[in-house]
Amino acid sequence: MTQIKIINYLWLLLIALTLFSAYMAEQSNPGIKSIVIMALVLAIKGRIIVDHFMELKRSHKFLRTLMQVYFYVIPALILVVYLFPTHIAKWTTL
Amino acid sequence: MTVIARQAFHFLPKAREIPGSIAIWAAILAEMTEFAIMFIVYFVARVHNPELFYDGPTRLSTSAGTANTLIMLTSSFFVVRAVMAMRENELKQCSQWLWGAVFCGVLYLVIKYFEYQWNTAQGLNTETNIFYGVYYYVTFNHFLHVGWGSAAIVWVIYRVNTGIYTKDDHEGLINIALYWHMIDLAWITIFPLLYVIR
Repeated sequence: MTQIKIINYLWLLLIALTLFSAYMAEQSNPGIKSIVIMALVLAIKGRIIVDHFMELKRSHKFLRTLMQVYFYVIPALILVVYLFPTHIAKWTTL
Repeated sequence: MTVIARQAFHFLPKAREIPGSIAIWAAILAEMTEFAIMFIVYFVARVHNPELFYDGPTRLSTSAGTANTLIMLTSSFFVVRAVMAMRENELKQCSQWLWGAVFCGVLYLVIKYFEYQWNTAQGLNTETNIFYGVYYYVTFNHFLHVGWGSAAIVWVIYRVNTGIYTKDDHEGLINIALYWHMIDLAWITIFPLLYVIR
């Protein structure tokens, strides 16, 4: 597959993932299932942009890792904050 | 860079391995850190005000948030295609893809403006509660980034059209492309946090 075709397909995938997120947003009863999906969608979208749009996949290892970590940490925080809100509230109370 | 300076920064790779310049990466990492601090503020505010953060997204326009996400992703795609066109020495196509990205940037700003108007009509503002305080702080900050990012792309278009960039030397184009992707990355994080997750 040519590079242009790969980029075109990845753009379509990003669009599809966004529309899926919007559909999830309209669900009346959000729960752990939808939170996990949202976190996963964010991780995948971030990874695509970092690896393919910023072209870090084929260039710089340290920068790539740094940028990828961002999109592991934020989705993980989404889950942790959803699952343990009272613990985190306790830790962050002055 | 002197030999001594190069030795001191031996952990950094050779410049050619980095897409764009080291300066733009310093800016990108600084901006990503700034947004990370805002996200941490969001998470802390959220755990202390669960009800406000549960209800908050329901009063925002999911359509406006979704439209702007689609627009940002598309603008990033246009920027990638512009870089590809430059590598093929297709300067006219490069310029056209970049104009597409600028159009998306302006469209984003217009939608955001109407979204803010719509919020105001509903009685939502920075003082309504902490959720909307965080929402306005984060989204207006991002709004400014899209504004000056779009202006920077127009500057790059001028440089493409005047032949300053060539197939083999177009670091300025790569730099703005990377910066624009950073703006996109910030938005794809903001969208689920403020519009979707409850």
